[in-house]
Amino acid sequence: MGELWEVLTRHFPEFRAGFLVTCTFVAVSFLIAMVVGTFVAALRVMPVRILQRIGTFYVETFRNIPLLVLLFLSFAGLRRAGIEIGRFTAGAGSLGLYTAAYVAEAIRSGVFAVGQGQIDASLSLGFTYPQTLRRVVLPQAVRTVIPPLGNLIIAMIKNSAIIGVALGLANDLLKTARIINSNTLQTTEVFFWAAVGYLLLTIPATFTVRYLEKKLAIKR
Amino acid sequence: MGENAVAGNLVEFDHVKKSFGPNLVLDDINLNIRNGEAIVVAGPSGSGKSTMLRCINGLETIDSGDLRFDGKSVAKAGKAIYELRGDMGMVFQSFNLFPHKTVLQNITLGPTEVKGVSEKDSKERAVKLLERVGIPEKADSYPADLSGGQQQRVAIARALAMEPKLMLFDEPTSALDPEMIREVLDVMRDLAEEGMTMVVVTHEMGFAREVCDRIVFIDEGKIVEEGPPEEFFKNAQSQRAKDFVDKILHH
Repeated sequence: MGELWEVLTRHFPEFRAGFLVTCTFVAVSFLIAMVVGTFVAALRVMPVRILQRIGTFYVETFRNIPLLVLLFLSFAGLRRAGIEIGRFTAGAGSLGLYTAAYVAEAIRSGVFAVGQGQIDASLSLGFTYPQTLRRVVLPQAVRTVIPPLGNLIIAMIKNSAIIGVALGLANDLLKTARIINSNTLQTTEVFFWAAVGYLLLTIPATFTVRYLEKKLAIKR
Repeated sequence: MGENAVAGNLVEFDHVKKSFGPNLVLDDINLNIRNGEAIVVAGPSGSGKSTMLRCINGLETIDSGDLRFDGKSVAKAGKAIYELRGDMGMVFQSFNLFPHKTVLQNITLGPTEVKGVSEKDSKERAVKLLERVGIPEKADSYPADLSGGQQQRVAIARALAMEPKLMLFDEPTSALDPEMIREVLDVMRDLAEEGMTMVVVTHEMGFAREVCDRIVFIDEGKIVEEGPPEEFFKNAQSQRAKDFVDKILHH
């Protein structure tokens, strides 16, 4: 036990810095995933064939390429192609866009769970399709997709660990842990605290999802 | 009133045809609905009644012919359909209230979002409409807390909030328990008496008899018979309408 505490207290500044980098990744990727995911889901449910195709293309592309490959492509690939892209942008961008494909699918299934009657009622008031989506369908869909979205966000937090390791894109929590480990060789202790760091993010996320689920539940 | 409207006609079906796949659901429908008229569309299930109603506000598209509302073609409206729909209210069999909104918000959403009415004005109007349909105390409830009859009355208020020229009722009492049918029909009766133009698809022949100006009887996508209710019930011309009246009145 003594060694466990000793590792934490001695390397606390590094752990904290790594944890904060991971937090930033998660926050930025989350924003990208939600905004892009919602937009792509909207494309996929619009009654316009070409928009649906664009949405489907996005989902199939980003869902079917491994995240690690996306990271290599977005950083090294784009740089080779002459496009200057920062490490942070490449990392958070890839993770966000990758997760967005799953978010879009979750939202789409939530949208289809909202009955045709709701759409009829909304259209009969003179709403356009985008208005119908924004004011009637999405607010209801969001409530049904919160549980699956929660799973995606937890997966995203864990996936963020890949960013630091791939190409050494950033000194996030896992990367920091590896650096400390290579200096101290206290593998068990170091990665124990890394695990705790991830749990500090995933457990509150789980509880937030449960809370939102209860709070936003629609009585039927 | 649009420029091209034949004087007094609010809705004009002009050789309207509509198929779902191989099924011809509307077969050459010709019908004019005058301003202020309350029409009941009756007929066996599957005869095309609801489809006819949904074509009026463009929720279903027609295959051929023309359908005009207020002198403007619904069939060829394109994006103008949204504006036309804003002048027609529709009430559904399954109410279709927005479950994530309170009763008041259900009623204010249309006017604020579509017609640009201010939040304050639309609220005032919604409160008045709730009084009119007899449930002012439910303003802050959610639809799930209301009985079926109350939900349907809110749905009527929601449609009226758009100040429509025409109200479409698609079997408004079919999903209701018997003891709640009356409260909804009473609201509809009041509307008709105030001169609202209404097209009502219903099996409530009592309502048809007492309230409407004209019954349109459809079978297999065709208008088989139309006329004042007394005439229809006592003196139906076609065998199909006679059979229908017999079944309805003597079951």
